[in-house]
Amino acid sequence: MKGGLFTSGYGPILIVVAALAVLPFGFSANTTLNFLGFVLIVTLAAQGWNLLAGYGGQFSFGHAAFFGMGAYGIALAQVRFGLNPWLALPLSIALGALTGTILGYLSFRARLRGSYFALVTLAFAEVFRILANASTFTGGAAGVLIPLRIEGANFQFADKRSFYWLALSFVAFVLLLTHWIARSRFGAYLVAVRENEDAARALGVDALAVKLKAITLSGGITAAAGCLYAQKFLYIDANLAFGPWISVEALLAPIIGGIGTVFGPLAGAVLLLGLGEVTKTFFTWLLGGAVPGIDLVVFGVLLIFCVAFAPRGVLGVLRRIMPAFRGGRA
Amino acid sequence: MTKLSGFDRRSLLKTAALGSIATISMPAVLRAQAPAIKIGILQPVTGALAQDGEYGRLGAEIALKELNAAGGIKSMGGAKLEMVFGDARSNPEGGTQEVERMQAEGVAAIVGGFASPICLAASQAASRYDIPYLVDVGVSDQIVKRGLKNTFRFGPGFGSVTSAALDNLVKLNDAAGKPAKTVVIVHEDGLFGSGMAKLLQAELPKRGFEVLETVAHPTPSRDMANVALRIRALNPDLVIPSSYYSEFVLLARTMQQQRIKPKGIYAVLNGAASNFRFVKEFPTAAENVMDCNHWADMRKPRTANVKAEVERAGKVWLYNTPLNYSSVLVLADAIERAGSADRVKIIEALNSSTFSDHIMPYGPTKFVEGQNTGAQAVNTQVQNGDIKIIFPTEVANAKPIFPVT
Repeated sequence: MKGGLFTSGYGPILIVVAALAVLPFGFSANTTLNFLGFVLIVTLAAQGWNLLAGYGGQFSFGHAAFFGMGAYGIALAQVRFGLNPWLALPLSIALGALTGTILGYLSFRARLRGSYFALVTLAFAEVFRILANASTFTGGAAGVLIPLRIEGANFQFADKRSFYWLALSFVAFVLLLTHWIARSRFGAYLVAVRENEDAARALGVDALAVKLKAITLSGGITAAAGCLYAQKFLYIDANLAFGPWISVEALLAPIIGGIGTVFGPLAGAVLLLGLGEVTKTFFTWLLGGAVPGIDLVVFGVLLIFCVAFAPRGVLGVLRRIMPAFRGGRA
Repeated sequence: MTKLSGFDRRSLLKTAALGSIATISMPAVLRAQAPAIKIGILQPVTGALAQDGEYGRLGAEIALKELNAAGGIKSMGGAKLEMVFGDARSNPEGGTQEVERMQAEGVAAIVGGFASPICLAASQAASRYDIPYLVDVGVSDQIVKRGLKNTFRFGPGFGSVTSAALDNLVKLNDAAGKPAKTVVIVHEDGLFGSGMAKLLQAELPKRGFEVLETVAHPTPSRDMANVALRIRALNPDLVIPSSYYSEFVLLARTMQQQRIKPKGIYAVLNGAASNFRFVKEFPTAAENVMDCNHWADMRKPRTANVKAEVERAGKVWLYNTPLNYSSVLVLADAIERAGSADRVKIIEALNSSTFSDHIMPYGPTKFVEGQNTGAQAVNTQVQNGDIKIIFPTEVANAKPIFPVT
């Protein structure tokens, strides 16, 4: 009975992941693979944001803080301490999670909510950016360059598919984790805190502990995205790692895709970044030459339409018109 | 017929006539058109660096047009060079993505990048396919120190620019009877500014200058009044700014309004002091500002042609244009000598390049581990609304005005 898998919600995840996993066999263009690799990095960062903001209702404007910790963590561990990147990976994820705990403890204990919490996270990310930019340990404004040594043991792959599958396995893991959390007691607490924190506390939910757990997980996931970014491009500086661009990408993707849903970040990232690429290619083909910035124009228009007509994201719209998607709602 | 709609009858006839003359005069062997060679031109034309990217692209376009008009690559049967343009979107991801696209389109080589982070990421992506990558501007010394065989830089790096800046400053001061003793350094807190400030702080005291203070500011900054007031309070002989375009323009204007007149403003790799837009829009604030930066050799006849072409396009004269123009020429020369669009052969040809027909004040190219050792920065000064080269003396077209007050 197919329904069993589907009502449990794991079925769609497995199907989507399997479809994404066989995608590289369908074509050999490195352009597309390179692009999809980047989409998955953004997805992962967005999944981290979605866990905290989508399920927990704690809107962060500063997920760059975690992303940067992961990126700088894995880069500096190699450059300064000569660690193997595979060993540095869990350490950097832990560093991101720890940053989440500390940041969360400081702000949640002070009972910062809503826009106050958002502003504090933004401030943290900016402070990290300025520190990374100034400190000689982080390479200052010159950034960190990870030496090029293309071997799998060194977390640098000759074949772009390897990187893609690795990133996909991270995304798949977080998809499963998110789904599991959404159905667990912890997830219920999280949603309770999102919907009405005071009521949740009155019912005996330890709101601080729940939020701390969420931000720790969220920090770790987004840090993993930072690690992948650093290993993909092998160069980071303060603006790339802690700059506002990633904070914005991490929150735009779930908002477009569907906030507080398992697939929201993935759908949003594919749509956001994919539309840009598609319009760019389309206009180049249509006009016989590249029109710089046309993708950004289309992007802006779509964003306006999305916010105006699909406040629950693309998945929200799908769910409205196709009842089958209702099952996926956490 | 739609293709012809842009022409009137007369120009159509002219083109046809010219075409037939060209066909007749060409030897029979060359009549069969050799397949075009694709050259990737990578520039950030959207985002924060769009202005620089546009000027870089313009330089590359002029060069390609000239090369094709002169008969293309002769060793390959007059093969034309075809531009595959990529917008790096002012970030490394954009740059990498475009390199992948260029690889898919089968480019023989890539020129450009502009900003160091873009150059670092893009050249690395290109190295996976052995695509020769010629960096136009990116000054970070890391670019050529990674041992990438495909990466070359035609222009000077950070280390070479700064040491030239320091040497020339001492020369300038000595020649004027050492009027300047105290210095205030103003810098943006990014790659250029911070690195520069640190170096200047270490090196200036050794050369007899006293650094009164180092003032950092972020990019973008919308108000430089505090920095200007600080300069007024310290009253230094020299102000050394290392900032991007808007911030330096703001600072220079604020200093002008506040009547702060040091003996000289000596910029290093400044976004504005070697930019005609600044000189045209704020002539009084720009007058006598000195800069150590990339600049074309204005004495070469070829430079005048390029400059005229730029003005015809309604653009001003910036260093990006001659640097990209020259880089494309260097590459075309390498392809000419390689006699092939084969990437490895082009890399070999670049390694043995001794090209001197470019429009930068460099002399013949000589790449050592990817870096053109002949490359050098020059000192410019705004004099009577024009940007003149004042150092080094071999290429100078004006005498320095120092001290200003």
